[in-house]
Amino acid sequence: MKPYDPISHALSINRRSFLTKSAYGLGGAAFAMLAAKASAAGAPPASGFSKGFLRSPHFPVKAKRVIFLCMAGGPPHLELFDNKPVLKKLDGQPFPESFTKGQQIAQLQNTVLKARGGSFEFKKWGKSGMEMTDIFPHIGSVADEMCVIRSLKTEQINHDTAHAFINTGSIIKGRPCMGSWLLYGLGAETENLPGYIVLTSTGRTGQQPISARQWSSGVLPSKYQGIQFQSKGEAVHYIGNPEGVCQSTQRQVIDEIRRLNGQLAEETVDPEIATRIAQYEMAFKMQSSVPELLDFKSESAKTIESYGIKEIGDGSFASNCLMARRLAERGVRMIQLYHRAWDLHGNLENGMKMGAEDVDKATAALIRDLKERGMLEDTLILWGGEFGRTPMGQGSGRDHHIAGYSVFMAGGGVKAGTTYGATDELGYHAVENVVDVHDLHATMLQLMGIDHRQLSVKYQGLDVRLTGIAGKPVNGIMA
Amino acid sequence: MRASSPIFLSLCIGLSCLAAEQPDETVRFNRDIRPIMSDTCFHCHGFDAKSRKGKLRLDLREDALKAGKSGAIAIVPGKPEESEVIKRLYSQDADEVMPNKESHKNLTEKQKALFKRWIAQGASYEPHWSYKPLEAPTVPAMPAGGHNPIDAFVGAKLAEKKITPSAEANKERLLRRVSLDLLGLPPTPEETAAFVQDHSPTAYEKQVDRLMASPHFGERMAVWWLDIARFADTVGYHGDQNQRIFPYRDYVINAFNTNKPFDTFTQEQLAGDLLPNPTEEQRVASGYNRLNMMTREGGAQAKEYLAKYGAERVRSVSNAWFGSTFGCAECHDHKFDPIKSADFYSLQSFFADVKQWGVYADYSYTPEPELKGVGNEHPFAPEVRSKNAYLSKKDQEGRAELQAHYAQLTQSIQADDQKRTAFAAWLKETNEFLTAHPSGLVTPSGSFLHKAAPPAPAKAAPKNTNATAAVKKPVAPVMPTEFAAGEPIQLKRGVAKGEDFAMSLAPTATPIASVRIDIPKGSLALDATSNITARFGIADAKGKERPVGFFLADASHREPRYNSTVEAVDIVTGWTLKMPDADVHAVWLLDSPITLKKDEKFIVHFESSAALSFKVSVSPISHHDPLKVTDGAFLTALKTGQPSPASMGSFLYSRASDRPALEKARAIASRIRWQYEGFAWSMTTKSVAPLTVRVLPRGNFLDVSGPVVLPSTPSFLPGRRESTPEKRLTRLDLANWITSKDNPITARAVMNRLWQQYYGAGLSAALDDLGSQGEPPSHPELLEWLSVEFRDKGWDMKRMVKLMVTSRTYRQSSSLRPDLKELDPNNRLLASQNPRRLDAEFVRDNALFIAGLINLKDVGGPSVKPYQPAGYYEPIQFPNRTYIASTDDSQWRRGLYMHWQRMFLHPMLINFDAPARDECTALRNYSNTPQQALTLLNDPTFVEAARVMAARLLTTPAGTDRLALSFRLAVGREIKASERDSLGKLITDQTAYYKAHPAEAAKLMKVGFAAAPTADPIEVAAWTQACRVILNSHEAITRY
Repeated sequence: MKPYDPISHALSINRRSFLTKSAYGLGGAAFAMLAAKASAAGAPPASGFSKGFLRSPHFPVKAKRVIFLCMAGGPPHLELFDNKPVLKKLDGQPFPESFTKGQQIAQLQNTVLKARGGSFEFKKWGKSGMEMTDIFPHIGSVADEMCVIRSLKTEQINHDTAHAFINTGSIIKGRPCMGSWLLYGLGAETENLPGYIVLTSTGRTGQQPISARQWSSGVLPSKYQGIQFQSKGEAVHYIGNPEGVCQSTQRQVIDEIRRLNGQLAEETVDPEIATRIAQYEMAFKMQSSVPELLDFKSESAKTIESYGIKEIGDGSFASNCLMARRLAERGVRMIQLYHRAWDLHGNLENGMKMGAEDVDKATAALIRDLKERGMLEDTLILWGGEFGRTPMGQGSGRDHHIAGYSVFMAGGGVKAGTTYGATDELGYHAVENVVDVHDLHATMLQLMGIDHRQLSVKYQGLDVRLTGIAGKPVNGIMA
Repeated sequence: MRASSPIFLSLCIGLSCLAAEQPDETVRFNRDIRPIMSDTCFHCHGFDAKSRKGKLRLDLREDALKAGKSGAIAIVPGKPEESEVIKRLYSQDADEVMPNKESHKNLTEKQKALFKRWIAQGASYEPHWSYKPLEAPTVPAMPAGGHNPIDAFVGAKLAEKKITPSAEANKERLLRRVSLDLLGLPPTPEETAAFVQDHSPTAYEKQVDRLMASPHFGERMAVWWLDIARFADTVGYHGDQNQRIFPYRDYVINAFNTNKPFDTFTQEQLAGDLLPNPTEEQRVASGYNRLNMMTREGGAQAKEYLAKYGAERVRSVSNAWFGSTFGCAECHDHKFDPIKSADFYSLQSFFADVKQWGVYADYSYTPEPELKGVGNEHPFAPEVRSKNAYLSKKDQEGRAELQAHYAQLTQSIQADDQKRTAFAAWLKETNEFLTAHPSGLVTPSGSFLHKAAPPAPAKAAPKNTNATAAVKKPVAPVMPTEFAAGEPIQLKRGVAKGEDFAMSLAPTATPIASVRIDIPKGSLALDATSNITARFGIADAKGKERPVGFFLADASHREPRYNSTVEAVDIVTGWTLKMPDADVHAVWLLDSPITLKKDEKFIVHFESSAALSFKVSVSPISHHDPLKVTDGAFLTALKTGQPSPASMGSFLYSRASDRPALEKARAIASRIRWQYEGFAWSMTTKSVAPLTVRVLPRGNFLDVSGPVVLPSTPSFLPGRRESTPEKRLTRLDLANWITSKDNPITARAVMNRLWQQYYGAGLSAALDDLGSQGEPPSHPELLEWLSVEFRDKGWDMKRMVKLMVTSRTYRQSSSLRPDLKELDPNNRLLASQNPRRLDAEFVRDNALFIAGLINLKDVGGPSVKPYQPAGYYEPIQFPNRTYIASTDDSQWRRGLYMHWQRMFLHPMLINFDAPARDECTALRNYSNTPQQALTLLNDPTFVEAARVMAARLLTTPAGTDRLALSFRLAVGREIKASERDSLGKLITDQTAYYKAHPAEAAKLMKVGFAAAPTADPIEVAAWTQACRVILNSHEAITRY
């Protein structure tokens, strides 16, 4: 795999103009970034695998797209996926210091640490008999599609930096996020929609802020950034025609822009002009395809009910899940849903019940819907937060926890109906088959057919990668 | 090995014209060999001792010439066949071949041959180009048509390759280019015409001088530096709260406008606070050290974040002043460059004295006593308050406007008998009142009215007060039931929020226009605080109360109140008062003066969290400034009974009879208040006892096993300065070394970046990595020459800019050269100029300028808020944010003043590749995306610009060639016949459409806050479409 190469990149876009007009390079600005670093090997061959910079897969391609259901705020593994009877017995007792000594602690700094047992019952679900909470009955019902990782570790204990880490593999600003990496490596399969789309929803408790940095392309060109669909106003910024401008006027304006740009190209050798013309066409197509995307008329009442949607397009997680399926159908490479809830420092039981109402049914419906449409097999779903929550109580809740927590995956290439790894008897440290965030990224990339070591970009003299200098694909997760 | 091996390939292709390709050419270490070694050898045979294999070092010649572990000698100068390196490069044995399999690296045959030839030629080394001392090179002979030494260097290279440079761009395009490059603004049609007609030999230079003397030059240069300095309006982490820092931006603009030497510029930013008797400006400049991201997140660990801030600062400073990447050395010695971990931390150590908090809040589990009471709305201390030119100007403008308003009223009543009489009557009355009451106040008698049930203890007590204990039960009476006229009232305890404590005041002979509460000195312990609030009413004979509104209040001593770090100065119900060693008073101005009827009483509801002693007075006099009402000099002037603008103002407020005039006065006065008397706060550097800085193994802040390091300059750069146990170096020492003759890298880094601004690419294209993984410069001697000129001739920025934009090389046509496709595919030899898409801020400025909508009245000032999609800040919390677009003419200020929200940067800025400025950014991307198309097509800013441009064209005199004018405005050239035909048809079609759909035209006219046009909306709507086309054209957003 070669690092990002702005020259061949532009050439791939400007191929025709390049060949016909014998333009021989780029305007200074466009190539300045890395000119000397770049290979001028030309555009990648057309292939079903990739419309990005990877020519051929490094591994068998199991998944073609990712849906990341990001449970922002950090849901508690001990209430959901990781049953700890010993912890329950210890409830209210001092938490053994042997576990916590020298460990990073967030809001429980300088306080007496006490164990807090899980608040809900666990039961065995599905044919696989996977042990999971009883407050997620819908997700439980698709347990046989899931692979729960119970031994994930992260490095960052505060929301902001933990989000940066799970999205980009680094806390250094300007690192591209995983969706941007996928788009850069594989390109988009859709022409009329962005290849990487982000949707957000807000829970009723435990919200924490998120940042557009989490879907930023960082040092990669902005064409790889995640495009946020707004829950209010226009779905995509500037997607609607201006007030008082109808579609045919807009079309005429764009035609006229093309004409002007075409004339410019005749007398000025600058390959950016041809790109510009293409981007206006793409923009116009997006203007028409987004309304179609937002029109849920074709969805049956049964489907809508199955997701638990109260009102179409109400900005709820449930509505966003159905949108995720529609985006997946249209070939969007990376779909990221943020549900801002789960930061349950207090009133955890109630918060979990509300969280379950908002998220359980829709998550399960999405998995089932994709399965019924034959799309689950090549769609990789990741469900989880930026970190977990402490086995120690914090009043009526739990604090942030990074040493071991749970997420689950489903779909494309995932070992369905299994669990992987384990934490210790109190749910503090991941101790068995420990997976760190870089490993998770490496695994996801491998399922997409990519060797994580070979997806890189030259920046400040370094081969920047999603997995930094670490990361090992986890075979135990992959079917 | 990676099949594509990008780096080598690129060197062969990208720089093929530069490398020693002919067998008889001398192979140069820095140009030809070091890049190969850096990418393939140094990882195991370089600087980092820990990863070194076979005890072999290839980066030092003397080591490479020694026998290795196996006894073989890596490099035998002159004898490639005896050199182990060559054997290994050509080996067919998988265990022997280098680079080895694990490295995934490979060398091309060409590269191997180059290596061989280099050894055959004697294997001479050169120090890495950017680290070696600067030496002035010999300037080659000036080529024909050359203007300055830049052309000599560029020309020599072109001549070598037998390439002729491109012709000079035509004058229209040239002026547009240099205007956009120097100001970020296009020329006006008049400027273009004047230049075209000026045939003097100095015509171009005159234009350059004119542009560089413009105050907008500093604005344009600031955009360049603010990316480097990571200037933003918000802190970046978690709640992404606002920070107060805009005066730093003003400093930067001003520095470029006044051509502050770069060494001073460096000193002031890194160490302005350490200069002898630092000025306010120097303290503002030192705000640079505070531009790292900061957090206020609950649960964050101060130590962890101090480590993050420290590391970011090293990355930013090293990138800004060394053009180098120190980042890797946070965890380990750099693999490719001689940057050691100790270098990283000893650079960090210079900044260990910067006053800061890891977490900018006082949480119970992580107490920070100094930050007690600091909430999400509060600014980020320490700050400096300084006189700000922009605010002072606005303050003066406001005051002048108010005076003019009063003067105009004074004059206008002469023509109106009724008004004149009323004014005279008021003056007389006031005179009489002031004679009877020289203080301007009446202190009536009254009684304690009633007391509601006591509040729940403590809970209802306001925050931030030391007096909350006083409201705990049991509830004692607050005060005696009666009080006499003129007597102070002593509360026996605090009156809490919600406890309806009120007193009724006896009617006074005169109307009541304002209410004053006095709290004498000693009423509270020194520096104690009390929250006070007041509201008013009128009780009728039956005791039924109706509220009396007030529109403004102020107090002589109060703690500031913040709304997202902006100090709120408008209407408030109360304050936290901090008791100084002085009397305190507060004044409320009633919305309308009241005159009590018989049996009516004036009711004052008063709350105070402390058991104050106080006095309530009333006055018939009002004014736009609450504290003026009882000001001695003001009253003396008023007492003369002479009509004047000042007395007219007071009359207006005190009588409130001329409501429209009063509203206008209030609006102006409000605007004045928001200028804070011309002062602004800005984050600054305060030096305190330095934190201990250690080398953190693997960057882990919890690991304290690493050695403590003191400040010292990088070990691999010449003229190193190190702290001793006796003498600790300071930030000022760092700044002085950076700009000393010893240090070669800063001049190189800055000149390289500056070059990119005018030529599209740096001489070394990797602007932020002048190390061995970067790119050797295309014209090393030119970069050397520029750097020496810069360093030795006073760090004179304008001089260097002028050199760059007056060269023949700069002035060439920017149409790329198909004939050089093979020879110089990336135009690195500069046989033509490079086209450049405008930076995000200038995309905006350009459109607003063309429309005639841009606000260029002022330079500097607070950030502004252009239209932004609704709900965009919805995911931001602590505090929740609502974006309110600027409603005055600051809406159309330049892009560099746009509010820079790091977590949710304005979508227009993102779409045009502006960085969030989380960290130092030396080079922006220049992408070309559908989002850019959508922004230019549909963002209200650009739609509004188009409709205002249309109106501008349509208000020209009949007979004006409007389409021609539109092209002169937008792209600085004459329109072509084909363009005219095509746009003409568009206008005809659209006129027909809008004639049939006038409601649509009306809607379009309402996009944006700019006034609707006076011209026919249908015509404007049709022309708006043509203007949208022009503003969207590639030519309009590209500097050719």
